Amino acid sequence: MEKFREKFIEEASDLINELEKLLLEIEGDKANNELIQQIFRVMHSLKGGSAMFGFHKIDQFTHHLENIYDLIRNDKLAISDDILDVTLASVDHLRNLMHEGDDSDTRNQVQHDLLLSKILQISDENTINKVTSLTIQETDNRAIDELATYYISFKPKKNIFKFGTNPLYLIDELCDIGETKVFVRTDNLPDFDSLISTECHIYWDIFLATNQGINAIGEVFIFADDQCDLKVNKISDINLLEEESFLGIIDETIKNQKEIDINQLTQLTHDLEKVFIRAQKDQIKEKLATTNVDTNISSIRVSSDKLDNLINWVSELVTIQARLSLFAKETETNGLVPIAEEVEKITRRLRDDVFSIRLIPVENMLTRFQRLVRELSHQLGKDVVFKTEGTETELDKNIIEALADPILHIIRNSLDHGIESAEERQKQGKPKRATILLKAFYSGTNVIIEITDDGKGIDPDKIINQAILKGLIAPDTELNKKEILDLLFQPGFSTAEKVTKVSGRGVGMDVVRRKITEIRGEVDIDSEINEGTKLTIKLPLTLSIIDGLLVQIDDTKFVIPLSSVDKCFEFKHTVLVNSVNNLIRTDNNEIAYLNLRNLFKVEGEAPETEHVVAVQFGDLKIGLSVDNIIGQYQAVLKPLGKLYKKQQSISGATILGDGTVALVLDTNQLITQFAQDETKIGG
Amino acid sequence: MEEKKVDIIDNVNTYLSFKLKDEYFATNVKKVLTILEMKPITKVPNSPDYMRGVINLRGNVLSVIDMRLKFGMPTTEFTTETCIIVINIEIDNEELQLGILVDAVDEVLEIKDSEIGESPSIGTKYKNEFLQGMYKLEDGFIMLLDIDQIFKTEDTILNKEAESLVGLVDITES
Amino acid sequence: MGKKILIIDDSESIREVVSFTLENAGHEVLKGIDGKDALKFLDGSHLDLIITDLHMPNMDGIEFIKNARQKPDYQFVPILFLTTESQTAKKMEAKDAGATGWIIKPFVPEKLLAAINKVVR
Repeated sequence: MEKFREKFIEEASDLINELEKLLLEIEGDKANNELIQQIFRVMHSLKGGSAMFGFHKIDQFTHHLENIYDLIRNDKLAISDDILDVTLASVDHLRNLMHEGDDSDTRNQVQHDLLLSKILQISDENTINKVTSLTIQETDNRAIDELATYYISFKPKKNIFKFGTNPLYLIDELCDIGETKVFVRTDNLPDFDSLISTECHIYWDIFLATNQGINAIGEVFIFADDQCDLKVNKISDINLLEEESFLGIIDETIKNQKEIDINQLTQLTHDLEKVFIRAQKDQIKEKLATTNVDTNISSIRVSSDKLDNLINWVSELVTIQARLSLFAKETETNGLVPIAEEVEKITRRLRDDVFSIRLIPVENMLTRFQRLVRELSHQLGKDVVFKTEGTETELDKNIIEALADPILHIIRNSLDHGIESAEERQKQGKPKRATILLKAFYSGTNVIIEITDDGKGIDPDKIINQAILKGLIAPDTELNKKEILDLLFQPGFSTAEKVTKVSGRGVGMDVVRRKITEIRGEVDIDSEINEGTKLTIKLPLTLSIIDGLLVQIDDTKFVIPLSSVDKCFEFKHTVLVNSVNNLIRTDNNEIAYLNLRNLFKVEGEAPETEHVVAVQFGDLKIGLSVDNIIGQYQAVLKPLGKLYKKQQSISGATILGDGTVALVLDTNQLITQFAQDETKIGG
Repeated sequence: MEEKKVDIIDNVNTYLSFKLKDEYFATNVKKVLTILEMKPITKVPNSPDYMRGVINLRGNVLSVIDMRLKFGMPTTEFTTETCIIVINIEIDNEELQLGILVDAVDEVLEIKDSEIGESPSIGTKYKNEFLQGMYKLEDGFIMLLDIDQIFKTEDTILNKEAESLVGLVDITES
Repeated sequence: MGKKILIIDDSESIREVVSFTLENAGHEVLKGIDGKDALKFLDGSHLDLIITDLHMPNMDGIEFIKNARQKPDYQFVPILFLTTESQTAKKMEAKDAGATGWIIKPFVPEKLLAAINKVVR
């Protein structure tokens, strides 16, 4: 048996791998019935084999898991992310069980119990409504499994033996599914002289109490039903075989009657049935009904969902391709590197093409703005026209969706605070009718959206006064114009001297900037008194994949978006530490650098040779020092999670080829956040 | 006929217990997704110590919280028993997955509501609002945690990083 | 007396364990890795019993039975299913295709032999 077992272990790990593959596939394609069937089949094989070869823990575990997928394939349960999470965790666990055998350490045991309780929870919730699963099920079967009593009249045909069927085996099987009371009837038996030994002359009356349902009884006879007369009747919803009075009655009936009258029998049991409450059953039905409804509403926005799926797959592909490249480099197998490079090239193209599918023209969001300008200008008694340029410029649909609110807010501000009344405008010698212009255009891998008005502009002095009043800056702070205007984006700043109904609703420009930063965009403001105000929004073309430079500080890896990288330099550590005012000489320039090791409070010594990545920061170039530059990397951006939302200098994370996590730097935020401290600390 | 009755009022819940230093805690398994063995954690710069960093969980990024530090206990070397419990919590009506780093997982156990004792208001260093109650063992007890409550304070802790990072320890009472 | 029995299963380990059990009981065993592969045994060799898995690649058990029953020599040879599947609908389908009976995996050797003895005499 041992050698079969080994063979099975091999088979099982193939099955487990296949299961994992199928689960990941169905995650993006939940309505795929064929996949569900395959998943069920694989679990089934795994269960069968593990039971066969004594992996009882796996057998029992897979059995419960399989129940869930049985419900799913029979449309009694909709597949959900929760279910997939549990199943995937189960796949890992099964793999462990397989490799470590059944007696493993505490963690595996706890994991086993944990997953099992979750699996039971899922399947229980969807089968029978009850308070808790495990304990009650063990102690009291009746409350849960609905024992019922059946009357079976089994009359084999005389020739039944010819077909290879032995009636006694069938009765044996009946006894296996429940409690039985069997009466052999021999009154058709002919005289001994005329008896033919190859023919069957006896028949049976059987009372069976089981929780398996009438179908299970039918199944016993499934391969013999042509060779017998079979009648199966449910006579009660409780186990009558436990009732002394009932046993007495049937004993009497059998003695006196050749045929049992079913109507008479059910009459007798009628009163007993009332004892049982049928409410449970209704509840189940209700539950099933609701799950069915859930299954029906899932895919309404088909095209958009499919697109998202596609993007996800491409993201996965990019991640796997990174693994391939890493593997190719590490194994040094002849010829593998060029293949990996080819795959990388194609992946990049595929990525670009797929992302372009999701681009939609800016035009799509303009209607809302047009209406806003129309309605609000009426309300305020101002004469304003809304003009647009470059509306065919395309952006990722998610970016467009996220952009609508901030732009609405900007336009509202313009209408409310920027644009003067008609009389005022005439006094200034401006055309009576004011203009708000929305202009979109490409700039490298970015899209720029400018919103310009020809209103009264923003007075820098007013901003300074306001900022001092709010305690945002010290009274004697020296600021250039750009810095002054940037104060508008500070949280808690609002230039309106009185809060107006239109835009003074507690949402300031800080929120606008935050929203735009969330989609990895930037927003800047420029304004001239009496000439107008211009908001410039710079956006990435897509959201989820960026080209980056993979760098390392101590054990931690970071990705710097390639779009902001200018050049890389090598420096001796000693040169960096001894630099005056954190200024270093590169090519023909001097640039300031930030020591990331210090800023990130990384313990340990820097390597002898460090690297400085020069990045673009507005009009400046700023160096960022790192231990090592690993190379270019296509990073699939993943959110860092809610807990790190205050971490502005890290815009997200990405999974590397080796499965570890690298952090994606937002260089603009990083520099803004640390530049001041560093110039104070450094030097 | 023998009457067996199921007591519907006394709910039974399943809990996962784990160990921190020499104390035992448990959380309802409804909150638990899976248990992971220790793996490399990427530290996020300039975050509080108890926020150990992030790991890769099936292609997604999962934050890992060191429960020892979160509970104001001293940090310790990792052992083979150290592991990460992946939990689902709810913050501001939003579901959030989170890994919690514990010294060891102990067992999955079923506890009836009637077996849960109230946590004593004195004699424990943990704030009552984080505890569902106590479950008494022969030699000690398990503290049943209300894990949502513990992380509900996450925001305030983050907002006032300068203040005590120890959310759970009620300093005034010890 | 030993019988000639064909076992069809895509899992090698199951195939091996079944044939081991049957050979120990004095039977002669032929092995097929799926329905399609097993068809080759139907021509030429006289079989007393066929035991087949239900879910297999290339040709599943039901399809195999349908094929076998079309051959004059195999109209009455008992064919048993050996599977973990326990759905009635599947059983009905198998019966309609011409199956004689059903053995649920997992089995202990005694049970397998007992089931075989039910149909082979």
